Amino acid sequence: MSDNATAPKKSGLTPPKVLGIFALAMINVAAVLSIRNFPSMAIYGWSCIGWYLIGTILFLIPLSLAGAELATMLKDKGGGVYAWCNEAFGTKGGFVAIFCEWSNNLVWFPTVLAFIASTLAYALSPALGSNSIYLFTVMMIAFWGTTAIAYFGEDVSAKFQNYGVILGSIIPSVLIIGLGIWWIASGAAIVLPPFSLGEIVPTIDLSTLPFFATIILLFAGMEMAGFHALETRNPESDFPKAMALSAVIIFFCTVFATLAIAFVIPADELNLAAGVMQAIEYFFTAMNIPQAIAPMAVLITIGGVVSLAAWLIGPAKGLGVVAEQGNLPPLFNRTNRYGSPVAVLLIQALIGSFISLLYVFLPSVNQAYWILSAMTVELLCIVYVLVFASLIKLRYSRPDAIRPFKIPGGTPGVWFIGGMGAFAVIFAFIVGLMPTGDFSSNEAVSYVAGVLLGTFLLAVPPLIFLKLKKPSWIETGTKEG
Amino acid sequence: MKNEDGTAWAAILLLVLMLLLPFLWILVGTTTEPYHVVSGDPLPEAVQAAGITVVSATDSTWPVAGAMGGKTYTLSDESGNLYTIRTQKFDSAESRDAAVIAYNAQSVGRGRTVGKLIVVGNYLVYVQPFTSAILKRIAPELQKLKAT
Repeated sequence: MSDNATAPKKSGLTPPKVLGIFALAMINVAAVLSIRNFPSMAIYGWSCIGWYLIGTILFLIPLSLAGAELATMLKDKGGGVYAWCNEAFGTKGGFVAIFCEWSNNLVWFPTVLAFIASTLAYALSPALGSNSIYLFTVMMIAFWGTTAIAYFGEDVSAKFQNYGVILGSIIPSVLIIGLGIWWIASGAAIVLPPFSLGEIVPTIDLSTLPFFATIILLFAGMEMAGFHALETRNPESDFPKAMALSAVIIFFCTVFATLAIAFVIPADELNLAAGVMQAIEYFFTAMNIPQAIAPMAVLITIGGVVSLAAWLIGPAKGLGVVAEQGNLPPLFNRTNRYGSPVAVLLIQALIGSFISLLYVFLPSVNQAYWILSAMTVELLCIVYVLVFASLIKLRYSRPDAIRPFKIPGGTPGVWFIGGMGAFAVIFAFIVGLMPTGDFSSNEAVSYVAGVLLGTFLLAVPPLIFLKLKKPSWIETGTKEG
Repeated sequence: MKNEDGTAWAAILLLVLMLLLPFLWILVGTTTEPYHVVSGDPLPEAVQAAGITVVSATDSTWPVAGAMGGKTYTLSDESGNLYTIRTQKFDSAESRDAAVIAYNAQSVGRGRTVGKLIVVGNYLVYVQPFTSAILKRIAPELQKLKAT
């Protein structure tokens, strides 16, 4: 059943094999590496290393290994996490996984779009940042512009992401790291206390547990390359190398750029309420190159757009595969001559625009933000639990399948890696429900109920679609000329 | 065929409604924070009521549009733990809400921001990190100030 369910495109057209190791790695880097994380994590000083190690050991490494094994094993099947979970748990499992990945984007889009608009305002004129019309206009230009890039298919979007991630994520990270090294080499004072192993151990207690969910999902997106399996030149060898390359780039850029900021800016001066750019401004002013601040804002804006593109395109492609297989009404099953799922992209853009409109123009969405961000965490946790469970299940249900990359250690090895990842994600799901201290008891109950209900509503549509499914849905897809 | 078309459209409508429902409910239904002028910085009063000591307070203006100045407080609890909390006054509801949106856009990864903004009238109170023990103590006092 699942073999047929994840067969290559019925249109008969083979997608162009345009992606190699570098392009695949950059898709993951675009999805995960973000400059906006650095100042936020720098407030933890040396212990940011400990937090990053927790995220790396419990999530980044397991997900990278799981992605490498599943993507190479199911290299002929499009849909990324959909194909993986479909193979293990059938259509229901695969559909729920990809739908949660897609619907969590709808929650996340307004925040990343607002980040893009507010960071760009810093480069143009900070006063624009308080103008709702400006915010919404830039958000829509970024959103629909990225959707347009996705429309032109894998070749164009891969090039956009390759150049964009280098310009908007890697160059700024390397620049910050280089300046941090220069700061030390020049003999300037490091504001952190002297290094000791004890300093890197983070404080983990009941009060810091909600932060645990954030840390676990800090590296979410490492599965993004898997959505591009059909466009990969040599998936057997390229996927594992791309996973390794992207994991190394992400880890080193993240850790060392965060430390560079922590070396220069005292934690009590890091007023993040004024924005990430305030920290960047402080950093570059301390380095005596204030003229670099506006260009950095532009680069960070580009990084935001590239991250948006990675998350916008990957899950939409996965949902496009679901539609091709007749699990969604025919309206969703429209691909253009570039092989892009235009209907899914359009529906995604329309819904995302409407939610962004509410987000910008409704007054005081502060508490709402916390509920929506918790829903993002919960939906992603569902995706990753299913991915790790698929990794383990397929070792039993498809023991003889050819696995060009295999997690070492046999069954115990896969249980260890998959089990660790699943444990971390389930734990993140639970602590992700914990409200912050400013919620009263009544509000806390509403908060938890709201998060759970919202998550349920955004996760359950696949089951309804499968109930309503008609045989004709699989045959009436439309391919534009 | 018409019946199947109807089913497809019903499914699409259902999807859109199910996707939008949580957003409408959360964005429209959660507590709004009306903009009103608070007489003076709300934090000292809240801190005093919570039994926390202000160690120092320095003036600061956030580099965001509409910010009119506020203070960076260093606070101390009974055990001598120190906390830093920032406040800022805004000139309009639009600039205040824009600051909230801009801050909330800086989540770590796909998760949340490391700190939390509390809205009190024309003021924003910033607690960092959001896991800080002091948040639990001052939040109820700030809530009371919101109501007045």
